[in-house]
Amino acid sequence: MLQKLVGGLILSGFLIGQTTANPQFSLVGDLVMDHLQKDPNLYSSGIEIAVQGYVNPFARSDVYLHKHNDDSPIELEEAVITVERGLPFGLGLRAGKFRPDLGKINKDHAHLFPFIEAPKGISMVLGEEFYTATGLEVNWLMPLPWYSNLSIGYFDTGISGQDDGKDESGYNDHDHEGGDSNDGHIDEEHHDGEKQPKGSSARWSHFIDLNEVNHFEFGTSYYVDHEKSFGGADFKYKWRPNKYRSLTLQGEVIQFELSDKHEEKTVHPKEVLTAGYLLVNFQFNKAWNVGVMGDFWQFELADIHSMDPSIFIGFSPVEESAVLRIRIGQVANDHEGHDKKHLKTTAQLIWSLGPHKPHRY
Amino acid sequence: MRKLFLILSILSICFGKVRVVTSTTDLADIVKSIGGDHVTVISIARGNQDPHYVEVLPSYMIKVRKADLYFMVGMELDFWAKQIIDGSRNQKIEVVDCSVEIEKMEIPTGTVDASMGDIHRFGNPHYWLDPKNGRLIAQLIAEKLTKAEPKNSDLFQQNLNLFNHQLDKAILDWQNRYANLSGKKLIFYHNSWPYFSNRFGLETVEFLEPKPGITPSPAKLNRIIQRIKSDKIEVIASESYFSDRVPKFIASKTKVKTVKLAQSVGAIEGADSYIHLFETNLKILSKAFGVEHD
Repeated sequence: MLQKLVGGLILSGFLIGQTTANPQFSLVGDLVMDHLQKDPNLYSSGIEIAVQGYVNPFARSDVYLHKHNDDSPIELEEAVITVERGLPFGLGLRAGKFRPDLGKINKDHAHLFPFIEAPKGISMVLGEEFYTATGLEVNWLMPLPWYSNLSIGYFDTGISGQDDGKDESGYNDHDHEGGDSNDGHIDEEHHDGEKQPKGSSARWSHFIDLNEVNHFEFGTSYYVDHEKSFGGADFKYKWRPNKYRSLTLQGEVIQFELSDKHEEKTVHPKEVLTAGYLLVNFQFNKAWNVGVMGDFWQFELADIHSMDPSIFIGFSPVEESAVLRIRIGQVANDHEGHDKKHLKTTAQLIWSLGPHKPHRY
Repeated sequence: MRKLFLILSILSICFGKVRVVTSTTDLADIVKSIGGDHVTVISIARGNQDPHYVEVLPSYMIKVRKADLYFMVGMELDFWAKQIIDGSRNQKIEVVDCSVEIEKMEIPTGTVDASMGDIHRFGNPHYWLDPKNGRLIAQLIAEKLTKAEPKNSDLFQQNLNLFNHQLDKAILDWQNRYANLSGKKLIFYHNSWPYFSNRFGLETVEFLEPKPGITPSPAKLNRIIQRIKSDKIEVIASESYFSDRVPKFIASKTKVKTVKLAQSVGAIEGADSYIHLFETNLKILSKAFGVEHD
């Protein structure tokens, strides 16, 4: 029902728009090389296709398609209509399939991350490619002297969390038989026929100018479905004295109250997963940036935890149309458990055609 | 009674003004000149900031939220402004593209793509750097302010006349005092100056950037160094937001003088108004070329 409603809204938006102007088309591609113990892996995550444009004077639409570098068909990542003008009381609306406003980085596409790989702890909560779902989200730009935005969303599928056959938590992975239930690619139903829970999200974020070059933002997020819930808090401080120099300090923590049946893994019914990261990124001239990140997660009752530091370097010779990134970080080997750590080196070349770019963080 | 009068006065000061936001400080200064005390004006980009790339901060949306008018440079220079205006959720704001009446220079012909660097499809957008275009911008601003606040139309017209008079007088004065700049050859860092050069007769022989927005390579720097030596070029001028590193490197290999110019109001000391922007830049250039007027 909700999907039909959302589909209808998107379709009506396009029809009402009746625009003759072409939307903007962009492509983002990459080449990744990583090295962990064995021979280096060389692969591409495929191509992201972005089609963006105004539907009418009040709304714009963004469609993101992903063609993975394999035989799988083109995947619809997002198709969303955003109404930012025309609604009363400072309200805005997003409808369609999109990344909900939940936590600091859920809305960001992976090619924006200077640290290449999403923080492991956050991925364990939001899924490998983060939380994408079909639904509606209302945003309220609150009438306060500073930027304060409240988002409330309702979605046809909830967060299933990590489900890629890898169980780094150390918890037993029982009746999991593969499949792709979430990490952004959400099945309608679990494998056992159980319906996916509807998810609801809320986020209240603030942005404050400390002065012309110093900015501070912080937010709190909450997610609930009938099985589980989590709350999170995040902050970002940025000093940007000029176009090519900036210092960013950013952190986020999420506390996830798991149910006894969490993603087909048996967990204690009162288990709590705490996950987060802290990063510092310094852009010191037009082309170069360097940063460090600490990524952590912990199952409290099981007393399983991990803390993985990494450093990352970025090189953007010509603005953001082509970016080379290198990350050296400690990771657990999927097959050896969380307590066996190895150094993993990843190099990523990312390029773009069109206005949708891996722009600076 | 006195308190009531005071409150009403404060309210009229706060709410009786046209609230204007502009993309750049140049437009903001012209709005101030025309609107006087009857407008409040905020510029999104700072004077010493590159107007091509402004990071869209949520706080800018708050600045635009209650604005009546938004004046943008247009020609895809301040493309970022759209995101700010949309995010502000301001339904009554009128967005004005100040480039509409401008006679545009360097409109590319043929296919335009990223191999040409950061090129603008609708022509070079740095049109405010010709003071004569300041008149056209001011005329448009006066019309829009009058439409927003018709009761002050006479005042806006008076201010427009005064602005035009001061600008015309200044242009005559500059063309007289800085006539020795005409024909002088120089190298600019970025192609921001065709309107300025055209007005004051400067001859641009080269840009440090091989293509707009592209950092010069060592090979390009080497070619420039050779050209400076062979053509006896005296001055490299750059926008205030560029690093000194490259011009200083070239200066260390040649006898060229390096200067920073104000690409916008507030970019460098002295350029504190639209008219002073030209006065400051011309003074800097005439000093660099050694043709200072007494």
